[in-house]
Amino acid sequence: MVDLEKLKNVAKDTVSREDVKYLIGWRQGTYGFRVSPLFMTEPEDADKLIFSPLCVNNLATYLTLAEKLPVPRGAEPDTRKVALMVKGCDSRAVVQQLIEKGIERESVLVIGCPCQGVLDLEKVEEKFPGIHSPVDVQWGDDKFIINLPDGPQEVPREELLAKKCLNCRYPNPVMSDVMLWEEVEAWGNGEYADVKELEEKDSQARWSFWQDKFESCIRCYACRNACPMCYCEDCVLDRLNPQWIYRSNNISENTVFHLARAFHLVGRCIECGECERVCPMGLPLMTLNRKLVKEVRDKYDFEPGLDPESKPFQSSYRPDDQEDFIL
Amino acid sequence: MSEQYDPNIVAFLCNWCSYAGADLAGTSRTHYPANINIIRVMCSGRVNPLFIINALQQGADGVLVSGCHPGDCHYMEGNFYARRRFGLMKELLEYVGVDPKRFNMSWVSASEGSKWKDVVEDVVEKAKEAGPFEQFRRNKINW
Amino acid sequence: MDSKKLTKDKFGGFIDLLSKQKLYVPQMAGETLRFAPVDSKDEVNLVFSNTAVPPKSVLFPQTETLYEYEAGGTEMIIPEGPEEKVLLGVRPCDARALTIVDKLFSWDIDDPYYLKKREATTIIGLACQEPGINCFCTSVGGGPASTEGLDLLLTDLGEGYLLQPLTEKGEKLCQDAGELLVDAAGEDNQAADKVHQEAAEKIVRNINVDGIPQKLEDLWESPLWKKVSDACLGCGACTFLCPTCHCFDIQDEMEGFEGRRCRVWDSCMFKEYTLHTSGHNPRPTRRERTRNRVNHKYSYFVKNFGTIACVGCGRCINNCPVNIDILDILSQVVKEAL
Repeated sequence: MVDLEKLKNVAKDTVSREDVKYLIGWRQGTYGFRVSPLFMTEPEDADKLIFSPLCVNNLATYLTLAEKLPVPRGAEPDTRKVALMVKGCDSRAVVQQLIEKGIERESVLVIGCPCQGVLDLEKVEEKFPGIHSPVDVQWGDDKFIINLPDGPQEVPREELLAKKCLNCRYPNPVMSDVMLWEEVEAWGNGEYADVKELEEKDSQARWSFWQDKFESCIRCYACRNACPMCYCEDCVLDRLNPQWIYRSNNISENTVFHLARAFHLVGRCIECGECERVCPMGLPLMTLNRKLVKEVRDKYDFEPGLDPESKPFQSSYRPDDQEDFIL
Repeated sequence: MSEQYDPNIVAFLCNWCSYAGADLAGTSRTHYPANINIIRVMCSGRVNPLFIINALQQGADGVLVSGCHPGDCHYMEGNFYARRRFGLMKELLEYVGVDPKRFNMSWVSASEGSKWKDVVEDVVEKAKEAGPFEQFRRNKINW
Repeated sequence: MDSKKLTKDKFGGFIDLLSKQKLYVPQMAGETLRFAPVDSKDEVNLVFSNTAVPPKSVLFPQTETLYEYEAGGTEMIIPEGPEEKVLLGVRPCDARALTIVDKLFSWDIDDPYYLKKREATTIIGLACQEPGINCFCTSVGGGPASTEGLDLLLTDLGEGYLLQPLTEKGEKLCQDAGELLVDAAGEDNQAADKVHQEAAEKIVRNINVDGIPQKLEDLWESPLWKKVSDACLGCGACTFLCPTCHCFDIQDEMEGFEGRRCRVWDSCMFKEYTLHTSGHNPRPTRRERTRNRVNHKYSYFVKNFGTIACVGCGRCINNCPVNIDILDILSQVVKEAL
């Protein structure tokens, strides 16, 4: 069970360490059900930390997001660790970054928070609209306890659980330096209803489904930026020479953008669902990613982000990989 | 589909096997459809998935990637990576509703001039069945 | 011209009249609302809070062809002038935003693409009745029934709409409607005033903007900026969906031997926005970019044009994936500057 006192104490001890630059955790947002990442440098900030069903953000993104500015002449580079609070899915992002050597093991201190599934922000804001003051939410047995300004409300877990959590198989951090509390039992079975539903449609129907979605994309690149696995210094979307994808917004470029984004995540997507959550246009991007996750798992027996010693999917092979599609 | 429809097919052939195979078909005066536009690459493992998508975007009705048979790669394992990559590429394209007949992959060795002919005939036939590609073609309609 | 009234049974006729020009109303595109041309009357539904994408996307489209050319040629083919358009259901905040964008596009150089479209467009507003959770238009000089930038303002009175013509375009439209409209009675005007007032009372969030431009200037090097931007992901959700953001990038795009020069939306939150060819970036981190976004809206624009470039629609707050809240930043600025 969530032990907030322990979390705060661990956080205080961590940021007091000489070799820690800062700690990234979650804090209550400015209104309603929103939560914001907290970059904690002082032990006094520990009181702002929370861990609740609202802590949906995958903080592993920030490990690679921080800009690496040139070190001034004569100065030593800052090699201190970044401490990071992770849920199960987030920890897989850290592991996958380690596998790809995007970060070094010594540069990160992982604080594991076993998680019972987070809220779907959209659903909860629809159910309880117009709440301005920050709301505290807790896990109960098979329910969420939502402490609204006019008293607590209990809502069945299934009703408000985020889509990515409905079928979660890794609620416990797969890697951590400190585990804050007892692990929980996993509940998912790895079946993807949305993918299955779409697969059963015919080709034309699938295209009209995606055409409708891709056309409404505004190319704000929130999906790319929020993704803990999208950390290329020089992204193919920004590159002008060669310019594979034009900047203009139309069905052609948008489709290519989404195909390229999804394909870059083959064997790397750890299903944290951030791309879909952050999309201001509500595109079902995980329905695209999950398809590839499923194929990689079923046909290649591979799951990313579990073992830091393993090799990345796309730079390894097995001699007996499937080739029934080859002429 | 009218008899006249001639699909445009872009083929990425590896330098060491498939390109030599196609060359052999040529020097042996084998007749095969002229719808194929060959781009020679050093290895099938060098083909970036964006090449496929971009070819479709710029007017290809079908794309073929061809390399050495597994185990015969000049670079030992390039075609193994390609096989993984394009197996999933095909799944992804099919999933968003692109006709899977448009994207094909084959193994053609330097000595398989006649197999090259069969592959091309097969690929062109499939592209004809699929018809002109329009779904995310980059053309003036999108302007 | 005095205000008019349109009963709901005549609404279909009114839409027919508007449809003589190209009519845009909020419609679902994918999962969200945005302004799109109407094909049939059934699509007109004026019950909504606000569109996800602001109506600037019609007058300043995300992708706009400036001219077309052929490879090796010297001729520029400039697209034909804009057609007459009507935007129906624009919220007063978004209409105010257009007056702000107008200032920019008619500043040192007139932007013909934008201004011609603006000239050819009639904007029919719809007074806001259900402000969103993060609306704060009343703090930045607007209101749920603000008339700036509108040609005609509609207020839903239940059994009908009250029409207030505000410009010549609006008056002409009312004249054209002729029989469809009746003169509004005094009580209709009072009812509308009541609706407007009730809506304004529903707005909870607020900020006192007095002196903020100066405070922002004083806090240029404040550690505050690092603090508020740490969580920023550097995406363009806030700027692309902002009704007053107007930055664009010029791109040349070729298809075979034909090409076009177009402009596309750009965002100051992207790292390549200020990237120089040399590799130097004067805004190297998200700290500088966040600072620029707030300063541009609340300081630079005020100095250049005498108005805050924020209309309080709340979209940037609603859509930020990491809850970066411009009101929160501003209140920290106020606190810090004391």
